[in-house]
Amino acid sequence: MRCHEIELRLGLYVDGELSASDQAVANAHLAACGACAELVRHERGFRRLLRRQPGEPAPDVLRTRLASRARRHGWRRAVLPWIAGSAVAIAALVVALLMTRQPNPLLAALVDTHIAFVQVARPAEIASQDPARLATWFFERSGLRVDVADFSSAGIELIGGRLIDTRQRRAAYVLYGKGHTLLSVFVVPLATEEFRAGRMVRYRGADYSMEERKGYRTVTWVEDGSVFSVVSGVDYEALLECADRLRRERERRLTLRA
Amino acid sequence: MPGAREFEQEALVHLDSLYRGALRLTHNRADAEDLVQETCVKALKAFHRYNPGTNCRAWLFTIMRNAFLNRIRNDKREVLEDEAALTGLAHAGTEPAGIDSPEEEFFQTILHGDVDRALKGLPLVYREAVMLADLEGFTYREIAEILGCPAGTVMSRLSRGRQLLRHALRRFAREHGYTRGDE
Repeated sequence: MRCHEIELRLGLYVDGELSASDQAVANAHLAACGACAELVRHERGFRRLLRRQPGEPAPDVLRTRLASRARRHGWRRAVLPWIAGSAVAIAALVVALLMTRQPNPLLAALVDTHIAFVQVARPAEIASQDPARLATWFFERSGLRVDVADFSSAGIELIGGRLIDTRQRRAAYVLYGKGHTLLSVFVVPLATEEFRAGRMVRYRGADYSMEERKGYRTVTWVEDGSVFSVVSGVDYEALLECADRLRRERERRLTLRA
Repeated sequence: MPGAREFEQEALVHLDSLYRGALRLTHNRADAEDLVQETCVKALKAFHRYNPGTNCRAWLFTIMRNAFLNRIRNDKREVLEDEAALTGLAHAGTEPAGIDSPEEEFFQTILHGDVDRALKGLPLVYREAVMLADLEGFTYREIAEILGCPAGTVMSRLSRGRQLLRHALRRFAREHGYTRGDE
């Protein structure tokens, strides 16, 4: 197989849709040809990017509506034996839905804070693009040790910081902006027990809870007894990426401190 | 006779996947919800014909796609483009090589709903192929079944769809000022 044939079959190869014999021939070529191997790597990277797109889940009301519709349909068909069972299943489903829909006051407060500052022209208490300076400011003002990540390589600029009181707790609020979009990072110490996880997702080896509130998306995690939350109108992919960078930044700092 | 419980276990477990797909077809939550509801009601009515243990998700997507096509035929909001009408697109914008940042770096700059925005800009025939293969993980055979076309057509639509998608993503990256080419 020549390079241009690999190029033609790149999609099929990466999709695993080549016949076994073609696959073997392609493998042999790829083992010997660095340029084609690179092409395959890029194609896989592109597919990973697509696969990583976090979609939003179906609304719970739709789920309940359809489940009860299925039950009604069943009644009409007068199929007796499973009626009791499905009623139990639906009751369990409703209970499960209610449980997952428990209010999450901490997250609600953080989203409200984000919303409060979305429209403000100068939302920061201290305006600075210097992560180290902000960290010092937080420490001097409140004793909070806050790691401030730099997202500027992704076009997300640091705006500054604020101290907030959320649910009777002093918390750090780091503000970022991309164009006119505000991205908020909250660090709420000692609030672990106040936080209830929503839909969990694993991203680059760490677990995060994703939740949408009032049209804003949140990605939240718990680390060292603090709750970290990234809130913005941008998509989950961007929020997860920011969360991941902040985590890595924290790891780096912790290693330095140790 | 499959009943409500079977329907929940076999079909409703795919609700998130269906809704995601519906959102990418209709571009808005209200229409997506409607479409999923219509799909599930149709599936429920036809559930006695469904063969348990076979691929329920692909079966649901087939129903959903047909329902969607009926809808857009009715309200003419989106026209299912004929492949021939798209030949012009086939020549649109091939990427100049070697100007932009390396692919790896480029992927890391894709943020802020770019993929969905790019997908949204694709003609339906490509959008549905890419969505089914790359976002929902269906095989070519399953996609051929859902779209009611030969596997060869799936391949060519996928390949073209991905190419257009990449092109759009690079354009966004440039607009955001991400890529090295602009520095």
